Amino acid sequence: MTLTSPEVRSEGWLEAVETYIENGWTDGLPVIPPTPEAVSAMLAAAGVDGTEVLGEIPTRSLTVSAEKVAINSVMAGCLPEYSPVVVAAVRALLQPLANAHSTTATLAGAAHAVVVNGPIRNVIGVECGQACLGPGFRANATIGRAVRLVIRNVFRTVPGVLDRASFSWPLRYSFCFGENEEHSDWTPLHVLEGYEPDDDVVTVMSVMRFLTATEFEPEAEAVLATIADTARLQGLMLDSFVGEARGMMVILGPEHQRRLVDEGWTKESVRESLWERMTRPTVGRHDNEVVLASPDNVLVCCAGGPGLAQSQLIMPHLAAPAHERIVVP
Amino acid sequence: MTLITLDPTNPAPGDDAPFTMAARPATLAGQTLGIVANGLGRSELMFDALGEQLTKWDELAGTVKVVKPSVAVPPWPDQWEAITTQATVAVTGFGGCGSCSTRSMRDALDLEAAGIPAVCIVHEALVPAVEALCRLLGADGYPFVVCGYPLNPTGMWDEDEAAALATQVLDGVRQRLTV
Repeated sequence: MTLTSPEVRSEGWLEAVETYIENGWTDGLPVIPPTPEAVSAMLAAAGVDGTEVLGEIPTRSLTVSAEKVAINSVMAGCLPEYSPVVVAAVRALLQPLANAHSTTATLAGAAHAVVVNGPIRNVIGVECGQACLGPGFRANATIGRAVRLVIRNVFRTVPGVLDRASFSWPLRYSFCFGENEEHSDWTPLHVLEGYEPDDDVVTVMSVMRFLTATEFEPEAEAVLATIADTARLQGLMLDSFVGEARGMMVILGPEHQRRLVDEGWTKESVRESLWERMTRPTVGRHDNEVVLASPDNVLVCCAGGPGLAQSQLIMPHLAAPAHERIVVP
Repeated sequence: MTLITLDPTNPAPGDDAPFTMAARPATLAGQTLGIVANGLGRSELMFDALGEQLTKWDELAGTVKVVKPSVAVPPWPDQWEAITTQATVAVTGFGGCGSCSTRSMRDALDLEAAGIPAVCIVHEALVPAVEALCRLLGADGYPFVVCGYPLNPTGMWDEDEAAALATQVLDGVRQRLTV
């Protein structure tokens, strides 16, 4: 496989790591030096040629090649078998309604969540359960980090330059997890979006705000009311560009899911109920209508571990959820 | 032992695309001012006031304004057509947030490429961003109008502040749209 990126010569591994940091090519942490052999392996594992264009950012006149994505995947510490997920995530992020220029340059410092569905989760070890949103899992950590390095190096979104985040966010180091499809017989996220159960699919969400909904009461009614009330505290940013494609995500924790399952709720009925509660007219200050076109725009994803009765809410920046099939050659 | 690795960054597209500015008129008299507003905060008030003042003092033939569907996206195609078929000079902005400032600068560069003299109005907090975009697109040094504090960058102004800002940027807009 022919690679076209300029070569960087270093006297050994450590010097290479320091060179990449000094050049501003990392997130501040050390990276794996991307040798041509490692990059070729990454491309081969995704079944793509280095010259393949995964998408573009028109405002910056940038095209994003598979080779650059593979280089950054190596740097992030990905194993080659993670490469199809990273490629799909980058394709998703470059869909027009994912609004990559806006969500990566904003003062608000939006992050990007990469959610994995399908059998590949168990093949490559994407954590979906206990502590899945945090550190400790190579697939989660490095897939999310690869997307961030692509944003920095390939999209040219350098903090303080094109990246204008006033504070930025720890979620911008890495944010990837899977849905715990096996925890119940509820319909997986990707199937509700029209994919087959055996499809591998990535969903990319811009993350403007990440909210925790805590409800210890045992009734489903209380759980649903608290999730909706938590979303209504902040509401959503609105524009006509994203329009009816706007969507938010509820990462439903297993303690909450159990309460709902015990009372006969399905993911579909949960979406209906949350949509109805979130879109009611406002009743005053600190209560905002969450403007969503239909229950389909409430993405419900089951993840996390047992213990605390919590769910997490992803409130988006000015972008729609973006789904992309993961292609494993 | 020498270790060979690969550069992870994208080349700047501007390296292959030299930028040229559109030819400027001698004065704004008789020109139609296009306003490509991004809807940030209440910045539309400032653009309206600017259009009124330029019409009054510089004898513009008229104005045509579009408000884009989001702060950091291009105009819809029909909006772009309205501007490029009616306007002979243009202002873009308001460059007061991270992605909208650079997108508004891109709007100005696109107008220049379409042969319409343009200027982007940018808050001082976002100058590094728009300068970086200009460098990226091969338009290093492209002039723009800067305003600043005490007005906040995100356009949360009252009507008096918006009118005062229009007065403040008037000369700069005039200078950058004419020879």
